[in-house]
Amino acid sequence: MKKLLNLQTYLPLLFGIGSTIILIGAWWGISLLTNSEIPSPLMTWSVFNEMLATPFYDYGPNDKGIGNQLVSSLIRVFSGFGLGSLVAIPLGLLIGSSKTAFRLINPIIQILRPVSPLAWFPLGLLAFKAAEGATIFIIFVTSVWPTLINTAFGVASIPQDHKNVAKAYGFSRWKYITKVIIPFALPHIITGLRLSIGVAWMVIVAGEMLSGGVGIGFFVWDSWNALSLEKILSAILIIGTVGLLLDKGFDWLQKRFAFA
Amino acid sequence: MTIHPISAPVDSASEFHKIQSRPASIEVKDISVAFKTPKGTFTAIKDIDLTIQKGEIVALIGHSGCGKSTLMGTISGMTQPTNGTVMANGNVVKGPGPDRGIVFQNYSLLPWLSVYQNIYEAVDSVFKGKTSAEKREITEENLKMVNLWPHKDKLPGQLSGGMKQRVAIARAFAINPSILLLDEPFGALDALTKGSMHIELLKLWNLDNRNKTIVMVTHDIEEAIFLSDRVVVMNNGPAATIKEIVDVRLPRPRNKKDIVHDPAYMEIHDRLMGLLFDKFSIEDD
Repeated sequence: MKKLLNLQTYLPLLFGIGSTIILIGAWWGISLLTNSEIPSPLMTWSVFNEMLATPFYDYGPNDKGIGNQLVSSLIRVFSGFGLGSLVAIPLGLLIGSSKTAFRLINPIIQILRPVSPLAWFPLGLLAFKAAEGATIFIIFVTSVWPTLINTAFGVASIPQDHKNVAKAYGFSRWKYITKVIIPFALPHIITGLRLSIGVAWMVIVAGEMLSGGVGIGFFVWDSWNALSLEKILSAILIIGTVGLLLDKGFDWLQKRFAFA
Repeated sequence: MTIHPISAPVDSASEFHKIQSRPASIEVKDISVAFKTPKGTFTAIKDIDLTIQKGEIVALIGHSGCGKSTLMGTISGMTQPTNGTVMANGNVVKGPGPDRGIVFQNYSLLPWLSVYQNIYEAVDSVFKGKTSAEKREITEENLKMVNLWPHKDKLPGQLSGGMKQRVAIARAFAINPSILLLDEPFGALDALTKGSMHIELLKLWNLDNRNKTIVMVTHDIEEAIFLSDRVVVMNNGPAATIKEIVDVRLPRPRNKKDIVHDPAYMEIHDRLMGLLFDKFSIEDD
């Protein structure tokens, strides 16, 4: 009974309510200041509900439900991210375990990593002759780096103790990789994947604005052309929520694979 | 052989000389180890000669940083000597090998593998010719030997310090090495656990007919005397050398409670104290 009355139990909930009030309050304030040029939370809410009522309708190439848009964005993100991880993890294992490989490849990483994802878009178009391929390509290029760097860092920071065990008991190269390197680096790899999926989700919106067709980024641009700011604000909320869920998913994975 | 009705010591002090006449297990010949540091070359140990017979238990004792672990490293093959050679079972040591089982200072279990897997992976990698059924049997046998079979599925993080050390010892025994190298094996354990671990170690050594050579690094005088046949006292580094080798001619099996009252024990204890300490009271300045 005492527990139920304890303020500590409700604190997370109270803080959650508090931050919602701040967000909505600030939004409302801006809306009032701009004479509703920025739609108020209430106006957005009704459009938002309308959008969520029929998420998967499909009235031709330029008029699809928000659900369809999200699904095609997510497919692109996971394709690019998946391909990126397939390259980043093995390459990271290599760079982390070999000083020579690190010295050869690190300068390339340092040069390419800060490049804006959109700068790669024309190259993607050239290579794939299609906007779809180009979008997945820029996701691939930008989501490679965090996983690559974190994997390499994880492998490079294996404690001498673990290496000594492998040395003392004559582990084969394969056993060393599968029983020492990968298990030790796994939490670092997952951290890298978590950062990568975050970057990929940010890049997809910009990418789809360029590529057009279908997708959440295209939806934002299309809504701008239709001058529906309510839709844009709703899309922002949806993008934020999906991003949060992706992050939480990898957070769960991270905790799942953390060893004592 | 006559069977004594009461638990009289099975061995006599003269057994000690039999050990001395056994073949050499480890021969350290004129070893020096120097490390390159930013401040120049640091010589850890210098011109060390030491021969250890098969089945002998030898303790290396000295103050922290005196190079005991470095000397141990040259025997295990984890450290390459700058000068000189180490022979183990008649072969020059070039690196770690399955004839030498190592128990590290901080257990060095792989934290993501269960107790069972920690031992199995070592067994699997040393006994390449055996079938997996045989390897599983070896793993099981060794875990049961240290009474950890009920805990086989736990991760090292779920074990106490003493249990972790038993896993590490079981792993070293599991590859059936002729030489066991223990680097401050009981340093992190409390006094009570330490005492029972000493008995366990000697039990395992007895089970194997005292054929395994054991070299251990320690800075515990009582531990060194209770376990060993000889105690190697090292000078303080840098460029540490052997100060003196003290023979421990106490009959086995030794009794932890009674041994401390043995005049021979007290004499060895005093000798080691004298070698390791300059001051014995605040008045000795």
